[in-house]
Amino acid sequence: MSYTELTVWTRGIIMDKEGRDIVNSISASARLEGKFAQAMENYVDNPDRTNAPTRKYCRVSDGVIENELTYENEQPNIVVLVEGTMVKGWDYMRGMPPGGTLVINTHYAPEYMIRFVPGAERLAQLVCVDAAKLADHKWLYYRLGELGLDRLSTEGAAERNKAIAPDIAAPLIAAVVKTTGVVKMETIEPMIANKKAFHMALDELHIMPLNPVAV
Amino acid sequence: MAAVTEAKKRTVRINGCVAAAQAAKYADVDVIAAYPIRPYTATMMALAQMVANGELDAEYIVADSEHSQLSISHGASSSGARVFTGSSGVGVQFAYELYSPISGSRMPVQMMIADRTLDPPGDFGSEHTDALSTRDMGWLMGWSCDAQEAFDNHLMAYRIGEDPRVLLPQMVCQDGFFVSHITSDVELPDPGQVKEFLPPYKHPYPLDPRHPVSHGPQIMPEQGPPLQLERARAMEESMAVIEQVHDEFANIFGRRYDPWVEEFMTDDAEVVFFMQGAHAVTARFAIQHMRDRGLKVGLVRLRTIRPYPTDRVKEILSKFKVVGVIETNMGLGSVSSGGSLYAEACAALYESQQRPLVVSFMAGMGGEAIVLKEFYWMTQKMIDAQKRGKIEKRTHWVGFEE
Repeated sequence: MSYTELTVWTRGIIMDKEGRDIVNSISASARLEGKFAQAMENYVDNPDRTNAPTRKYCRVSDGVIENELTYENEQPNIVVLVEGTMVKGWDYMRGMPPGGTLVINTHYAPEYMIRFVPGAERLAQLVCVDAAKLADHKWLYYRLGELGLDRLSTEGAAERNKAIAPDIAAPLIAAVVKTTGVVKMETIEPMIANKKAFHMALDELHIMPLNPVAV
Repeated sequence: MAAVTEAKKRTVRINGCVAAAQAAKYADVDVIAAYPIRPYTATMMALAQMVANGELDAEYIVADSEHSQLSISHGASSSGARVFTGSSGVGVQFAYELYSPISGSRMPVQMMIADRTLDPPGDFGSEHTDALSTRDMGWLMGWSCDAQEAFDNHLMAYRIGEDPRVLLPQMVCQDGFFVSHITSDVELPDPGQVKEFLPPYKHPYPLDPRHPVSHGPQIMPEQGPPLQLERARAMEESMAVIEQVHDEFANIFGRRYDPWVEEFMTDDAEVVFFMQGAHAVTARFAIQHMRDRGLKVGLVRLRTIRPYPTDRVKEILSKFKVVGVIETNMGLGSVSSGGSLYAEACAALYESQQRPLVVSFMAGMGGEAIVLKEFYWMTQKMIDAQKRGKIEKRTHWVGFEE
């Protein structure tokens, strides 16, 4: 039986929706493909604060998900860092079984980033994608007013922008789906709002293959 | 007609909070009284957006506390409005003063509860104590175990509570996080079907200057008992209505729930869990695994605790050798010195000719998930009791013992 855990690390308020969009779109795609899937936010990270680290989870399985009610992904096979500086200081690799994938939103190359990754020997691949550039992301200070209205901690219930992945989530989803095949490209592509960034990312991934060892 | 309505239903992926908000929208509520507290907050955020977007025509009132929320609900319901409110944890407690007046004046206010532990420890996790502590205040009360059931329970509760034979407020409860924050498939019905099932609310004696009536006046002591008796009778008489409404719901929407209990693998079971709420989801998986190992274990999940289905619980639980009550609530210094569900199970069984052994498990406290191996551990305790012919002790704190 195939069972995959995906954990997204992102930053509260300013990039919280991006994190949610990644897990929601992948779990919805998996459901469309007839798999069992679940998406949720880390319960104690919410209500989120600006820039504070928040985690989003997705579980995809061929069979029923018996650990549906557990709070956290204990063995993430795929980890996504929505904001590049999170590579330092957080234990995002904890529990990853050998053969995992780490996707980072960064303009740096994997060869540079890998030095900051704790437990990198478990990785089968490190994927870097300059999602902010591809999506022409406007950072917090350019749009504080908009974010303040639109992104008060919502717990996903009441976002004004209903579009899925209009921003940096699009290239990150492209990176995850292309490098892991957790869902099919043709299932998820129609859901993505920022199709331009999604397609550009497919050709602009920096993939570093690695030989995972058990730790 | 049926073919048309079939076409308009759709399946969405939402969590329990949003499912409750959707149910309020489908019920076309008139007044919403909101005050935020995790984990139910997202319900009110979703409703605020629906009202702002024009999807729902309702008066949305942001109260200054839970006490005000329930006061607003009481007043709005008295005027004949269909009212939706909600809370969690200590918020449920802060509104306590209003529970008896609302049921006492027979106002069918609906309150959504997403459980949260009371302080301490002040965390967000689900314990049923918040709502359960109000269980004898004259509110209909029951737990769902997933978002779809939560949606359905909200619709059914309005229909039951507003029935002229009942006229009682309803607490529609779901576990915080385990239901409120986990996204799953929810089938939203055709609005036409909902209209058919839940006609517009009409209170028989609303506050109306053209037809003056008094609600909740000061009365003499001897006038109290008849009112209490009427409220008690309404609670009793609601049982027939609850069964009828569940039948009608099944006929219209195609989902049939036993109004009182869900039985899972109980046919030849010798030991069973007796519990409420979302942990039943994991219990079912655990039971299937234990069945594979030849253990005769089952599940009886209570769906409605007020009114309490005493005879049904007696009849069902009498079939087994050992009943393990999973509490997920605090009953400090209570009968079992554990939770309050134990006493409910035992009292129902007292009149039985064939009483099983009953043991109480304090599990899922503080909102901890009850994992498979804890269900295995509890089952072993029940099997040991069965072999021994008596329980080791009334209450086990799961995770604190070998």
